[in-house]
Amino acid sequence: MSIATVSRKQILNRVRAATRNSTAAEAASSYATLPRSYVGRGLMNLEECVDRMAERLREYDAEVVECAPNELAEAIRAQLAANGRRKFVVPEGLPAEWLAEGFEWKIDHDLPAQEVEQVEGVMTACFCGVAESGTIVLHHSTMEGRRVITLLPDWHLCILRASQIVETLPEYFVRCEKPPRLVTWISGPSATADIEMTRIKGVHGPRILNVILARDEGSES
Amino acid sequence: MSAGAEHPILDPALAPPFPVAALSVLRNPQLRKNVAHAIDVIQAKRARLVAEKADWQELRTAAAAIRDHVLENLGAYLEQFEERCTAAGGVVHWAADAAEARRIILELLREDKADEVIKIKTMTSAEIQLNPFLEAAGVLTYETDLAEIILQLGEGEPSHIVVPALHVNRSQVREIFARRMGIENLADDPKVLTAAARNYLRRKFLEVPTAISGANFLIAETGAVAVVESEGNGRMCLTLPRTMITLAGIEKVLPRFADLEVMLQVLARSATGERMNPYTSLWTGVTPGDGPQKFHVVLLDNGRSSILKGKTERQTLRCIRCAACMNTCPVYRQTGGHAYGSVYPGPIGAILTPQLMQMQHAQSLPFASSLCGACYEVCPVKINIPEVLIDLRAQVTDKQRNTFGRLFDPMYLGMRVANVVFSRAWLFHAAQWMGRIGLRFFTRRDGWIHSLPSMGRKWTQTRDMRGLPKQTFHAWWDERSKEAR
Repeated sequence: MSIATVSRKQILNRVRAATRNSTAAEAASSYATLPRSYVGRGLMNLEECVDRMAERLREYDAEVVECAPNELAEAIRAQLAANGRRKFVVPEGLPAEWLAEGFEWKIDHDLPAQEVEQVEGVMTACFCGVAESGTIVLHHSTMEGRRVITLLPDWHLCILRASQIVETLPEYFVRCEKPPRLVTWISGPSATADIEMTRIKGVHGPRILNVILARDEGSES
Repeated sequence: MSAGAEHPILDPALAPPFPVAALSVLRNPQLRKNVAHAIDVIQAKRARLVAEKADWQELRTAAAAIRDHVLENLGAYLEQFEERCTAAGGVVHWAADAAEARRIILELLREDKADEVIKIKTMTSAEIQLNPFLEAAGVLTYETDLAEIILQLGEGEPSHIVVPALHVNRSQVREIFARRMGIENLADDPKVLTAAARNYLRRKFLEVPTAISGANFLIAETGAVAVVESEGNGRMCLTLPRTMITLAGIEKVLPRFADLEVMLQVLARSATGERMNPYTSLWTGVTPGDGPQKFHVVLLDNGRSSILKGKTERQTLRCIRCAACMNTCPVYRQTGGHAYGSVYPGPIGAILTPQLMQMQHAQSLPFASSLCGACYEVCPVKINIPEVLIDLRAQVTDKQRNTFGRLFDPMYLGMRVANVVFSRAWLFHAAQWMGRIGLRFFTRRDGWIHSLPSMGRKWTQTRDMRGLPKQTFHAWWDERSKEAR
């Protein structure tokens, strides 16, 4: 037996000797009885959720604009034009109409990190928005991109549809049909308070987060 | 680092006892001011955000139950984590103690031909004293968390588990950065200092191909690892290098992905007073085309399995390292973290450190508390820290009771004498009478005793004592009933 397996055995033996020494099936059955009396589903309607999401994002100093579903392409163009940057990276799976003309679009087909670092911004969709904490969740699908593209550029434009917004964190977990392999939960731009607890925005991740909240068809009511 | 303070020793086997180590901090007003300011800010934010959460107590109950359940079934969950992580392309290693963990990590680095490594803040790596070991073996380590850079460049030691450099103020940071990064005319504005750190690290993130992280949670269901952070340095280390090595205590497991719905809600609120921390990352083994293509997890025991044995002590391992207990602790507020002689300070350190040391070192720590219970009240996983403290005190006392040295211990002798005197009324009355006469010489006109000689000095050097009243309660009662007749 190699030293590695000796330690494995030793640790597991010690752990099992000190505890219930249960099988996975026994663990699963007692797991089902754990108390979960915290709030699962929130009480807000979609309209209130969208407002709360925008409010919380703004508290993080994120810029938020709302638009009707048929105005999305125009809203994207306006945001791009307003921020003055020209060169953007995008994941492979975004709709062509989002890539406004007049800007330089780099589609991420396994771009090396050094090239991603050269762009001025990134535009992606997302999987979900959690209104209570103003959190944007990326599962890194083809519309959300590899992790590196939402990390190195200084400016992140994220398109969030109203139907993707939930009120509470537990509601997000209900929306995950199965556990995703990769997740990034983003709550405002990167920040630190390591020096005298003074909050400084933008340390290593994108320093500026812009969100376009797109109403879905029929969600205006 | 701060003028007047000696360099703190955070190795529990070598550190001086708490009361001795605390002295140099108590004599350093700048340090105390820095610590008090930082924890006042975090505490106020935490209180506000916990108050807005109507189901806070229900979340605590659920979080404690999940963590207890994990510990009770730890063997099954560790094996499940290993199986799923391996299936997802990760390699799982087991380290019985600190030395084995260091050796495994060095071997992995040598396999990778790595002579430098970028690190995400991990208290577990500080626990096993990884950096000095790697440096001695010729591997350069670069801490990437802002607070850790301040400490690494300033050759300081962490004094808090969430904001490790809270004892350092902006002008001290300015001095360290200017000296070590070679920047002239650096302002002491936190914004400027943060930008200096960003520039300093950007190249490292893009060029160093190996990273080391800790873990906030390991997910047994999927073999995934979660890291909770604020700055994005964690995401950089998790995404850009070719090889990722994660060091995690064996207690860090959660049964399922969905358990994060409880943990993420309580962790950020408790740790930094935010509804959610800016970035949380979760990854499962290796993902082709995205992030490191080699991934290792080192599961560390280092004394943890022995803490599982006792029901009372076991709750120590529920800890999710939020630091709410130290932020609220009246003792920590005065002494800061270094006095605890361990990388885990504050109330949780006072119970965790001696147990990780298998009750061989750090025996003064269980006594470094007033047992006020504030730590229990704020703990998001409901660790009854005072209960564990008392239990550990009993263990320490029991151990000393059986040694020959006790016969020279004034505390022990005093207690023995008290035992005899307090159990006999006539002796007790005689002692009161003698005490009244003896203490009269030390009692000032205001009725207070300000200083006592010899043994009594230990009491009066930090507090005044009321002089004994002229009459005992018994005597007063007798007199009163006589008068009534």
